Amino acid sequence: MTSTFPYLTTLILLPAGAAVVIALIPSAQRRLVQVVGFVASLAVLGIASAATVAFTSGYGGYQFVSSHQWISVFGISWSLGMDGISLFLVLMTGLLFPIALAASGERAADKSFVAWILVLEAGCLGGFLALDLLLFFVFFELTLVPVYFVIAGWGHERRGYAAGKFFLYTLGASAFLFVGILALVAIHASQTGVTTFDVRALTDTHLSGTAGVLLFLGFTAAFAVKMPLFPFHTWSPDAYREAPAAGSLLLAGVMAKLGAYGIIRFDLALFPRAVVTLAPLLLSLGAIGIIYGAIVAAVERDLKRLVAYSSLAHLGFIVIGAFAISREALTGAVLQMVNHGLYTAALFILIALLYKRLGTFSVKEMRGLQRRMPVLAGVFTLVMLASIGVPGLNGFVGEFLILAGTFLTHRWWAVVATAGVVLAAVYLLWAYQQAFQGKPTIEAGAVHDLSWREGLTLAPLVILIVLLGIFPGPLLNRIGPSVTQVVTHVEVVAHQRPPQVGSPGVALRTTGAQR
Amino acid sequence: MKLLAVLTIVTPHVNYVAILPELILIGGALLLLVSGQLVFAKIPTAFYSIGSGAIAAAALVASLVIWHDVQARGPFTTIADSVAVDGFAIVFLVLVSCILILASAIANDFLVREGIDGPEYHVLALLAGSGAMLMAAANDLILIFVALEIMSIPLYILAGMDSRRRESGEAAIKYFVLGAFSSAIFVYGIALVYGATGSTNLPQIASYLNTNIITSNGVLLAGLGLLLVGFGFKVSAVPFHMWTPDVYQGAPTPATGFMTALAKAGGFAALLRVFFSTFGVLRTDWQPLLWAIAIVTLLLGAILGLVQRDVKRMLAYSSINHAGFILVGLAAATSQGISGSVYYVFVYAILVLGSFAVITLVGGKGDENHDLDAYRGLGRRQPVLAFAFALLLLGQTGIPLTTGFLAKLYVITAAVRAHSYALAVIAMLSAAIAAAFYLRLVFLMYGVKLPVGSGGDEGALSLPVTGEPDDGLDPTGSVPTGVNIGRVVVPVPTAVAIFVTVAVTVVFGIWPGPLVDFVHAAHFLF
Amino acid sequence: MGSLDSYLPIFFMVVLGIAFASLSFGASKLLAPQRPTSAKEAPYECGIVPTHEPARRFPVRFYLVAMIFVVVDIEVIFLFPWAVDSQSLGRFGLVEILVFAASVFVPFIYLVANGALDWGPIKRVRPVESQPDRTSSSTVRHVGPPNDQAA
Repeated sequence: MTSTFPYLTTLILLPAGAAVVIALIPSAQRRLVQVVGFVASLAVLGIASAATVAFTSGYGGYQFVSSHQWISVFGISWSLGMDGISLFLVLMTGLLFPIALAASGERAADKSFVAWILVLEAGCLGGFLALDLLLFFVFFELTLVPVYFVIAGWGHERRGYAAGKFFLYTLGASAFLFVGILALVAIHASQTGVTTFDVRALTDTHLSGTAGVLLFLGFTAAFAVKMPLFPFHTWSPDAYREAPAAGSLLLAGVMAKLGAYGIIRFDLALFPRAVVTLAPLLLSLGAIGIIYGAIVAAVERDLKRLVAYSSLAHLGFIVIGAFAISREALTGAVLQMVNHGLYTAALFILIALLYKRLGTFSVKEMRGLQRRMPVLAGVFTLVMLASIGVPGLNGFVGEFLILAGTFLTHRWWAVVATAGVVLAAVYLLWAYQQAFQGKPTIEAGAVHDLSWREGLTLAPLVILIVLLGIFPGPLLNRIGPSVTQVVTHVEVVAHQRPPQVGSPGVALRTTGAQR
Repeated sequence: MKLLAVLTIVTPHVNYVAILPELILIGGALLLLVSGQLVFAKIPTAFYSIGSGAIAAAALVASLVIWHDVQARGPFTTIADSVAVDGFAIVFLVLVSCILILASAIANDFLVREGIDGPEYHVLALLAGSGAMLMAAANDLILIFVALEIMSIPLYILAGMDSRRRESGEAAIKYFVLGAFSSAIFVYGIALVYGATGSTNLPQIASYLNTNIITSNGVLLAGLGLLLVGFGFKVSAVPFHMWTPDVYQGAPTPATGFMTALAKAGGFAALLRVFFSTFGVLRTDWQPLLWAIAIVTLLLGAILGLVQRDVKRMLAYSSINHAGFILVGLAAATSQGISGSVYYVFVYAILVLGSFAVITLVGGKGDENHDLDAYRGLGRRQPVLAFAFALLLLGQTGIPLTTGFLAKLYVITAAVRAHSYALAVIAMLSAAIAAAFYLRLVFLMYGVKLPVGSGGDEGALSLPVTGEPDDGLDPTGSVPTGVNIGRVVVPVPTAVAIFVTVAVTVVFGIWPGPLVDFVHAAHFLF
Repeated sequence: MGSLDSYLPIFFMVVLGIAFASLSFGASKLLAPQRPTSAKEAPYECGIVPTHEPARRFPVRFYLVAMIFVVVDIEVIFLFPWAVDSQSLGRFGLVEILVFAASVFVPFIYLVANGALDWGPIKRVRPVESQPDRTSSSTVRHVGPPNDQAA
């Protein structure tokens, strides 16, 4: 904190500026485009890492805060801040974008593709860092345009339909968010006389029961569609399926987190009473999403759609963690957001590699791949196990914390959700068995195994999947204080229960004992 | 003689400076009209265009002078209280001047391309501009009516300027007949309001309504309703929008853009002044009416825009949708709502001028190349033009960092403050629907290979494109015959005009302070 | 309803007018001798008997002239009240009416310069620039059943 380097503003402006630079490069200079794009995304990762190092552990408030008036008439400001909840999401975003570019092959030299991806990066980072509600909304919306173009421009067969559906769904839902934000600000202004979109100030707004519930529903509608949360998920299998590898990866890995992050950051902070009132509803939706996603994934034979439905299930866990209102569950939810980003990204890359070799996403047309591509199959197994939530890999830690925390506050939902863990094992192992085991249908040597380049793209993800499974401590130490603040705020404002005695250390010690 | 001595006529004091912009436009139009007629040589079109631009620029300077005056000394009225010189009026004076300057540049290239000689186009545009200015400044219902006619009649003729296209004539006749009809209704409304309040002067009506409680106000409300019909026609609010798509499609494209910007500016200026400032006391009576009109206008514009294949028709429905947004600001009936509406009109006028400038260019010689297919692959063929058009369309969509977003933010904020949450939500949903057709066009320009829904009606809601697999990279491969996709000629004046509109959209989208403050100062006289 | 009293004279006027008209017609119908001949019943009592219907379509130029006439007529209608009151209107009235007259005169110059008052075949005052791309096939629309353009 000694340095006054504007980490957060740089994080947003760097990719945006790089996108402009790339737009100015002649499109024939493909190598230059590729290099500039990749270097810019790496630079963002570097800055995000530096911010992580500079981040003060054990402090729950916002750090690196920068605030500037932007549109004074409306009270909109360029306010950025980072706390334990957003820290690792930002770091994960910084990591996934260079990987997405590296996994895109020749496309990473298409000028407009790279430019859109970088715009998307700026939008996502802005969403995670914004402390001003309208600024958040601007970034939240800005992400739609690049994703639309990436899906529609470089996607698979039904990309136009998928892109249009995605765009209309999310834009329609954010209409509610937009009006909700303005209504909240109007209520705040009528109470204090100050028109501000600053989340920190708006937290103190006194909302009547009905107003709180309505605003909560408006906000949550947009976040639920973006995540997606059952039953607002119908766009996601199409969009994930038709998007190019980088698109699916970023949609599931980063954009979905924008929705979940919105719930944790804004819903919990702004409408604690409504959250407590409506928690059973959202917990139920999350639980239904877990079971529904798992069942559909079990009968889905298209690998990409399968991962889309499994994402629905995993995001159900995150929703349950967010609405269980306990430190452990919320810590688990934040951790699970990062973990899900890592292994889903790895899964989408692996599926794209299979598609490159076999020209299909259908499990039915794959058989005995283990024999032909042992290394790829090994990596696939590892990532799949992480996704199932096998102890020792990163997926376990988050899910365990969520279930443990939820069990304390909302027992029966935790029980239902646990069934989802079992189902996850069913559909993933089933798919794996069909595709990788059995008698190979393709000639030996017809397909090559993981190349060095592909391995290098996957390596950071695989390493982190293992590492975070074994040592989640550094993350938990930084996430914990911020989560404590949020949960305490909800409990105090909602007057539901007196604040629990104890600290997140309880949760940490429990997980430590598991190791 | 004795009789005459008794009746001494009080001549009103005329503050000529206060109406200088209008005088400049009318006088300039007359000069322009006669200037070319006295010589026996062919006068280049550029002469008239430059003249028209210069006259509009002079009007802009005059407007700014009055602005300075009003800032220093406060608003005032002149010519027997029939003209109001206040911040509200001057914002529109400035806007109309800007519209005229940009439009003269765009029209020049169109006239040269189509070989239309003579000063008529520019003269009519200047006269219509003076009408729009008067509508914004008028402080008397009679003057509003006169100004409405001064604005409308040249617009009818402009719609029919392209005598070689049958559709142009059809548009002119349709516009004229329906316009005359709505004017008649408007006059009837004035008569009823006069009957109920005893005056046509807006401040006098307002003070009458403030000091008297009318127990049975049927006549007044009927008059108000008829006024709303007249205004609703001019700004193409549903259900008075029927003419809009046909006229937009038929009129010569630069005239369409000019007409949209000008009629919206003039129509909304008078509508806002009359309803908010004069009949503000009766807001509980007209608010529900406007609320309903705004909702149907928003939804119908957005939904019918989805099924259009002709770009001009599509933007016609989009303009209906935008009219709905502007009405949302008025329906809030707060000063913030009015500021929002004014800002929206300002922003939209600039956006639509730029959009139609691009459409004019793409329309090509003969002004008939307006199918969606004409835009297929424009991004590949002419990246700069396509990018400018994309920005203008994104601005109309209301994507953040454009003025369009701030405009929507402004009016929706006002609606929310006035507790019309349902209206706000419906407005934003309609914006989401409308986004589909703007983005379809943007995507057509950049993604050549995708076919648009073929029939128009079926599958149009599954936008932006039907899911047929693409076959080749050949940009001409999927283009139907009969659509000219040759290189679009971009003359310098139009290019400059488009650049200005894009710059305004983006610069004031990111750095909104100056424009917002300017519009924020648009206070009514009373 | 006392205000209606002031309409009473108008009412009597109307009644008197109708009575006078019907009285005149009725009296001539009753009193006059009626011996019709074919010459008396002809539309024109003198001149050549028309052999065919006159043309219904007037040259469009006629309407143009009529409209110009109306414009100038309106100008006179405006001039008249000014002329009656010019003394009391003073300089203000003079200025206004001059502005008004000028703004009618200028378009009149335009009309004359464009040959709006020339009767007969149009005389081209200015040289017509030949435009190579404007041919009879591009500018003349053929009326009738559409024949294929490809032929």
